[in-house]
Amino acid sequence: MSASLAVNLGGIPMKNPLNTASGTFGFGWQFEGFYDVSCLGAITTKGCAAEPWDGNDQPRMADVYGGMINSVGLQNPGVRGLVAQCGDYLQGLRDHDCAVICQVAGHSVDEYVAAVELFEELAPFASGLEINISCPNIACGGIAMGSTPAGAAEVIRAVRPRTTRPLLVKMAPARVGEIARALEAEGADALTLINSIPGMAIDVHTRRSKLSKPTGGLSGPLCHPIAVRMVWEAAQAVSIPLCGVGGVQTGEDVAEFILAGATAVSIGSQNLFEPDCAPRILAELEAWVEEQGVRDINDLRGALVC
Amino acid sequence: MPIPTPNKGRLFDARVVANELVSGEIHRIVLEVGELARMLRAGQFVNVAVPGQPRQLTRIPLSFTQTDDDAGTIELVYALIGPGTAQLSRVEAGSTLSVLGPLGNGWRIPEDATRALLVAGGTGTVPIFAAALACAAAGIAADVVVGARTKDLLWGIDELKARVSGEIITSTDDGSAGEKGFASVPALELLAKRDYDLVLVCGPEPLMKAVSARAIEGGVPCEVSLERTMACGFGACSTCAVKTVRGMKGACMDGPVFDASEVVFP
Repeated sequence: MSASLAVNLGGIPMKNPLNTASGTFGFGWQFEGFYDVSCLGAITTKGCAAEPWDGNDQPRMADVYGGMINSVGLQNPGVRGLVAQCGDYLQGLRDHDCAVICQVAGHSVDEYVAAVELFEELAPFASGLEINISCPNIACGGIAMGSTPAGAAEVIRAVRPRTTRPLLVKMAPARVGEIARALEAEGADALTLINSIPGMAIDVHTRRSKLSKPTGGLSGPLCHPIAVRMVWEAAQAVSIPLCGVGGVQTGEDVAEFILAGATAVSIGSQNLFEPDCAPRILAELEAWVEEQGVRDINDLRGALVC
Repeated sequence: MPIPTPNKGRLFDARVVANELVSGEIHRIVLEVGELARMLRAGQFVNVAVPGQPRQLTRIPLSFTQTDDDAGTIELVYALIGPGTAQLSRVEAGSTLSVLGPLGNGWRIPEDATRALLVAGGTGTVPIFAAALACAAAGIAADVVVGARTKDLLWGIDELKARVSGEIITSTDDGSAGEKGFASVPALELLAKRDYDLVLVCGPEPLMKAVSARAIEGGVPCEVSLERTMACGFGACSTCAVKTVRGMKGACMDGPVFDASEVVFP
């Protein structure tokens, strides 16, 4: 009998630990045709705000060594747009035992609250809500709010009473231990880390940024060791479950996050480079669990030997 | 499960039949990938993965000039613009590349069109070449204006002259071949001189903006094919956004071809 891969991410049951990083997976349906998306333990949808956002100007992405940099700026159709465009599809995923985590975007505490209330009203398919307090590409709020323990706590204190669903928080790649503790104290059910890492890419011939803004968010394999270290730090700081995100290319990359203390792990940019990667990564993860000789993947969480 | 807009793109292993320098910094690669060759329509594109270059993890979006249904091949023409395309130019015949396609919507060429004006600048020549062949196949006369920075970057002109029914005009920014100046100059002259019932443009945004504005003024249907940096090609990443009068669209799924009257040019 094969080992159990089922985990529970802060009240969200997942048949396996694989999730998708918001912003790299659209609303899920884009990947149907490459493979059956419901093979994943969960998906996390693109961050949506109460009202649609146009996002940043072009160009919005550039290739960099070991990954990419983006400044999309959370372009989204708004919660109503998401529900109208793909509510039925997302409900179908739920019916096929794939959790649907809806990411929530906002520029201010009031906007986060408004978006959460709309999800509560319109999105019965949402297994949980992930509050994105760490987007590096929006002018006000975003990473500024999520970059201090007080700012992060303020957002979660405001949205926590508005939903009984599992509440996740997407964390910035900075001060993770102390911010994780502040979020746990405010009642977050799980933490997702890390968001893309603020970076720059400059065209030296034109002396301009390769993006429409000076800075953007780095993602891809170059982020992986940093993300594993930050998950490990957060795991020392809090007892709520963690979802590791950052540069996953293989099942062994997922395994590193689990050994560092993650309950679930999201595939990010690799979805864009290799759109059918998830079933391969899942098979590689299963092989590792078998190799470790355990009956339950939960026995491997935080099992780093040090 | 109901899927809002089925993604047409699929992953194919393509065998490299040829990969060679055309002229200047322009290269062509011919891929054997029969099913995809038969699916592609003029103006669509493919995303090619380039192995072994850590500075290019995203796939490179490339337009095709022509397909050969019988041989099962597609021809992509590309300029060397960075480490990814440089790596692609080093891939040897006989190798296998992962290709994602068909992507995008392609040109909408009405069957009852009689005379089309096609305008290309730089690498915009690639999808315009495909459009010219599609017009020829549909029996539509097409005047084609092809502009490039310099003589070395003009390619495919003899083949266009042989296969397209219409006038082929070239221009170079430095005057080293054809008319001196941007392609917009001869394009606007042709628009003023002849009656067209279709205008297709692909190239730098100022060219597309100038030519499409004049076409729209004259009441001629005009389509533009927009270039964007993109990470996925199938609607997942929101990097290739296009501002339109109907809100934000994606170049990969809603385009790359847009009705010019709907595009909000910067």
